[in-house]
Amino acid sequence: MYEIRFHGRGGQGGRMAAEALALAAFLEGKYAVSFPFFGAERRGAPVRAFTRIDDKKIRIKTQIYEPDYVVVLDETLIETEDVLEGLKPDGMVIINTQKKPEEVKLSRSVRCATIDATTIALETIGRAITNTAILGAISRATGKIGIDAIEKAIIEKFGARLGKEAGEKNAIAARKAYEKTIVGIAKAGKKFEGKKQWLPTVDELPLGGSIGTLQTEAGLVGIGSFSENKTGGWRVFMPVVDEQRCTGCKICWFYCPEGAIKMVDNKAKINYDYCKGCGICENECPFKAIEMKREVRI
Amino acid sequence: MNLKARKMVATGDHAAAYGALLANVDVVAAYPITPQTLIVEDFATFVDDGITDAEFIMVESEHSAMSACIGAAAAGSRTFTATSSQGLALMHEMLPIASGLHLPIVMPVVNRTVAAPIGIWCEYNDIMPQRDSGWIIGFIEDNQEVLDMVLMGYKIAEHHDVLLPFMFGLDAFILSHTVEPVEAPSSDEVMKFLPSYKPIASLDPDKPMAIGTFTPPEYIQEERYQTDKCMRNAKRIIKNVTKEFADVFGRNYHGLIEEYKTDDADVILITLGTVTGTARDVVDELRGRGIKAGLVKLRFFRPFPVEEVRMLIERENIKAIGVYDRSVSYGVGGPLYIEVKNSLYGYDLPIINFLAGIGGRDVVKGDVEKMYKILQDVKDGKTRKDIVWINTRGVKE
Ligand code: SF4
Ligand code: SF4
Repeated sequence: MYEIRFHGRGGQGGRMAAEALALAAFLEGKYAVSFPFFGAERRGAPVRAFTRIDDKKIRIKTQIYEPDYVVVLDETLIETEDVLEGLKPDGMVIINTQKKPEEVKLSRSVRCATIDATTIALETIGRAITNTAILGAISRATGKIGIDAIEKAIIEKFGARLGKEAGEKNAIAARKAYEKTIVGIAKAGKKFEGKKQWLPTVDELPLGGSIGTLQTEAGLVGIGSFSENKTGGWRVFMPVVDEQRCTGCKICWFYCPEGAIKMVDNKAKINYDYCKGCGICENECPFKAIEMKREVRI
Repeated sequence: MNLKARKMVATGDHAAAYGALLANVDVVAAYPITPQTLIVEDFATFVDDGITDAEFIMVESEHSAMSACIGAAAAGSRTFTATSSQGLALMHEMLPIASGLHLPIVMPVVNRTVAAPIGIWCEYNDIMPQRDSGWIIGFIEDNQEVLDMVLMGYKIAEHHDVLLPFMFGLDAFILSHTVEPVEAPSSDEVMKFLPSYKPIASLDPDKPMAIGTFTPPEYIQEERYQTDKCMRNAKRIIKNVTKEFADVFGRNYHGLIEEYKTDDADVILITLGTVTGTARDVVDELRGRGIKAGLVKLRFFRPFPVEEVRMLIERENIKAIGVYDRSVSYGVGGPLYIEVKNSLYGYDLPIINFLAGIGGRDVVKGDVEKMYKILQDVKDGKTRKDIVWINTRGVKE
């Protein structure tokens, strides 16, 4: 049995890729299981998906903690989290990047395959959706699954959703990626702070989890969400307050599901570290003082 | 409908919707809730694509969903719905009406924690409170069993010695959102196994009839007895139907419970839901190390397999029994533990309850190994604790 973990951002189709890989393995006569990280998924947020492949029926139902392969759909993720976490010592990481494996810096030196899936996707499909091209790279880098099965699975899975022609284009993207994948070794040296997580015992946890201790600058947050978890990175659109129009009525402050709005001098101030860009404030403001603007990120 | 036999890679939710499609249901009334949503969406797509001419009723709540199902089933339709968590809680009021009227509705329940606090992950505190609703209650190990359980469910529920509604739990995300290979038989094969529903009475505007009317004490006690009898009959019918299913489709689910390597086991663990699959792997590994571990998969919680559980320990080899629960009846222990203890009244054998996976916490191999280790220690007289909270911070195991 071997296990694969996909890292992407919500909306990039990591889950579809993980499922298509399972389907490809199934078409080759293998048994395969795929599942998303069991949590809330949102466009732009870092998300994970998993695939398990074996010659015989897979009975284990746990999540995957020590994958044989890690696949990174979005290069920016290798800057913000240690994608190698739990990867087996002889495991391999497959990254969508323009860099060569030797130019990639990770928390340790590890077998690494790189592919510029974004360019291939743009050229072949016309959109920067990389979840099919990356499958071609997986075929080449792992040598465990044939590119023919990958193509078939893409046509079946993506074709059903997007139409036959789109399915075929996606299959071509995978084939191109298969041909262009570079396999090498990534450099060590990147440092990550240990994950911060509050794990109280039953005696430390206040009754019913009713607490004020998790105080963020933006207000109180509950168990399972933390001030270190700057959800502002999930935004695609950002709310911008027009102070001339803002009357200080507090409607947005009341409605914001993230507690990301603070009233300063009777004007709404948005904390972009936590604002997820849901747009509820724009919708609720009776004075049209908030506008959602396309966010430009470097 | 003419669906060919096929192999697919499907989520548990899709397997449930596809099972309903194959069962050729007439009416589906449902309200979406995470993580059941895909069942509703997928079935709605079948209707939209014209694959089935079933009536799909969008309602405004789960309470209404069950109300609509009751009406449809009372009119003689084969009826399907699905829910989860708070949705099932809201539906609770209508559940005994479906059973009291003896309407064989089939309903997958995607097991999800009930608030507070709000969670979307797997826990059985949604389905366990339905214990006395008069519904048959089953549990599922994998996606193949989801599809098969829908088909067997109708066959069991519609049997005239049973005529009770049928719900079964499938674990949130662990099955509902996980894809794995699922074999679907052809609609022709299913038709032979599951002919159309023949109600004993149904509402018909041409021949008006009243059901579930105001009933004084002169009758209700007898009606309760009837329902109790139907539930007891269900044990026999479940066994027969599982056997027939195995003969026709080649997959044997062994009736109310399935034993795994229990023949010479000195300790056994009784599981329900997906932990069973993980526990199978653990049992194999322990056996490789010479530990005589056995496993019993509980498939039905109502009717409860009292006799089967008793027969297990009539065998001299078993020295300690572990019971896994994914929810707790506060102050007492897990619901399955309570049932097992009840079944084994009068026997002098240690029964240890393991509470794990609550709120959706992953139950990993190490957790199951720990359960077997504790059972070994109990067997050897080294420890004795009735209820063990596995992996709970600050609580001694
Ligand atoms: S709702 Fe509009 S006007 Fe009211 S405080 Fe917010 S931004 Fe200002
Ligand atoms: S966009 Fe959403 S999260 Fe951001 S401030 Fe407005 S309401 Fe809050």
